[in-house]
Amino acid sequence: MVCIKQVPATTAEKRYTADLRLDRAAAEAVINPLDEYAIEQALRLQESGAVESVGFLSMGPEQAAEALRRALAMGGDDATLVTDPALAGADAWATARVLAAALDRLAPDVALMGMASDDARGSLVPGAVAAMRQVPLLSYGSELRIEGSSARVRRLTADGFDIVEAPLPVVASVTDQVGEPRYASLKGIMAAKRKPMETWSLADIGLSADDLHGSALTRVVETRKPEPKPPTERVENVGADEAVTRIADWLAARKLI
Amino acid sequence: MSSDVAFLAEFSGGSPTHAALELAAGAAELAAQSKGSAVALAYGPGAAKAGALGAAGASRVVVLGDDPSPAITHGAAAAAAVRELSPIALLAPATPNGRDLAAALVGLLGLPAFGPVRAVGIEAGRVRTEQATLQGTVITVSEPTDGAEEPAIVLVLPSTFTPVEGGSGKADVAPAPASEAGALGAAHIVESHPAEAAVANLEEASVIVAGGRGVGSADGFVPLQELADALGGAVGASRAAADAGWVPYQLQIGQTGKVVKPALYVGCGISGAIQHRVGMQTAENVLAINNDPDAPIGEFADLFVVGDLFTIVPKLTAEIRRRKGR
Ligand SMILES: Cc1cc2nc3c(=O)[nH]c(=O)nc-3n(C[C@H](O)[C@H](O)[C@H](O)COP(=O)(O)OP(=O)(O)OC[C@H]3O[C@@H](n4cnc5c(N)ncnc54)[C@H](O)[C@@H]3O)c2cc1C
Ligand SMILES: Nc1ncnc2c1ncn2[C@@H]1O[C@H](COP(=O)(O)O)[C@@H](O)[C@H]1O
Repeated sequence: MVCIKQVPATTAEKRYTADLRLDRAAAEAVINPLDEYAIEQALRLQESGAVESVGFLSMGPEQAAEALRRALAMGGDDATLVTDPALAGADAWATARVLAAALDRLAPDVALMGMASDDARGSLVPGAVAAMRQVPLLSYGSELRIEGSSARVRRLTADGFDIVEAPLPVVASVTDQVGEPRYASLKGIMAAKRKPMETWSLADIGLSADDLHGSALTRVVETRKPEPKPPTERVENVGADEAVTRIADWLAARKLI
Repeated sequence: MSSDVAFLAEFSGGSPTHAALELAAGAAELAAQSKGSAVALAYGPGAAKAGALGAAGASRVVVLGDDPSPAITHGAAAAAAVRELSPIALLAPATPNGRDLAAALVGLLGLPAFGPVRAVGIEAGRVRTEQATLQGTVITVSEPTDGAEEPAIVLVLPSTFTPVEGGSGKADVAPAPASEAGALGAAHIVESHPAEAAVANLEEASVIVAGGRGVGSADGFVPLQELADALGGAVGASRAAADAGWVPYQLQIGQTGKVVKPALYVGCGISGAIQHRVGMQTAENVLAINNDPDAPIGEFADLFVVGDLFTIVPKLTAEIRRRKGR
């Protein structure tokens, strides 16, 4: 079960439709780019026979169904959207609580996530879901493997890498090193329309708005503009020696040499 | 509830990581605002001898475990320690291990989480954090809701606090209260592959010379390393350069690499994609060398030099050596 979040496309690279036009609709709301790597990892596991089926789970507003449909166009079997007016403004804790409750009902061997969401950037949801569900976490995998009744990730360390293992079921998160996400083919887009998608409310996963303390334990009290930065100094149309002198003077003026 | 400020202190190879020393200083600073003391939750190889954190700012150290297992496996011990201490805030380094252990606390105890942040304070018993959002164009100030439990969990970016030098404080060291490790304890390392050569810790470097796709090859990084040496710094990279295998992934800067805040960042043959920018935009001084006058990095560098890196970098190294009198 791959957990995907729909996010605004502010930091996303441009996307193209199957006929290579800029995808305008996708330019507004996209699958969190790092979740596409999780989808890719899951589909590779399915293709190699390591997992039987791949499903997608998202918590968000009704439009998040579009992200799920786009994931289904990449591959996989079915999707579940948890949507409820009470979830607007959910923070890391509330998001994890909802995903954990939905995963309790779906009971997958692996709940696979991206390493971070583009908008929240906390990388907290995977570990919080694991803690709530009392299953092991295999995080920041540059590769995920299933071997018999356990899962393994390759995980970067300060100077090399470790292989970390845990018995199934697990929560796992993967990085953008798992391999480039595939594009949806025209055939995939057509097939996605017929794949099953369920929509659940909070009540369907046994939670109430009260359980979520009004959807968050945090609140924004103020927003402001950062201090403006001085404009960029440019060195161009000069010879290399002149450029180097200007760089060295700049470094010296800032006491960097 | 107490007015103490806790922090996660990761140990590696027998000593505290740089992040642990930064957070010790940060927790001590915040504890002075809340009139409490700084308490370390220490884990990783060497954590059992964590008394040295006293000199860094901690008054007490609770040892969660001193094995190299992934930090989240100490989740239950950390939760037991937090329940006993009930600090007002807990600072966690915004590193993979720090985030995982912070996440375990959020999940096990139901706590508000903030960050990653570059500024945090405690005013009149309330934790307030400042986070850059929307690519650094807006700063949002957040706090816990009225009903939220304490502590507030705060992810802190590298170089937000500066380690205390030459401190003389002493810390009491005690084991964490007894707890069942539970399912979170089940992840374990089955193979460990350290690198053959030492890999620089970019978060500690005060000067970083970073190379991108424009560097063209592993050999292309040699002049960058020489420039870094002349400046007393380390080499970093874009994902394109790491993906190409020219440098190890530990040197990648950006959204899925390291977040760095050196005094000087020099970008060579790096276009300045948003995912790279979020890892280096708070460097104090940004110099970019790129042969494309329209490269996006030219919009946010402090000094943007349009030119060929293979010509400029070696000449710059020679000029710096000359000015330094070497
Ligand atoms: C989910 C996700 C996460 C990502 N995370 C990261 C991340 O953490 N870090 C990261 O860096 N990227 C990340 N990326 C990739 C990012 O989007 C860019 O693709 C990448 O940063 C580009 O690297 P680059 O600047 O080296 O290469 P390019 O964009 O190809 O730029 C190369 C530059 O070199 C210049 N150049 C070429 N030859 C010379 C020369 N002789 N002299 C001077 N200049 C020259 C060119 O003009 C060009 O501007 C991520 C992408 C995604 C989708
Ligand atoms: N609303 C959501 N719905 C589904 N998955 C989510 C949601 N929010 C976060 N996730 C998953 O958790 C990962 C980490 O998100 P975050 O903790 O917000 O950085 C994401 O990459 C997703 O896989």
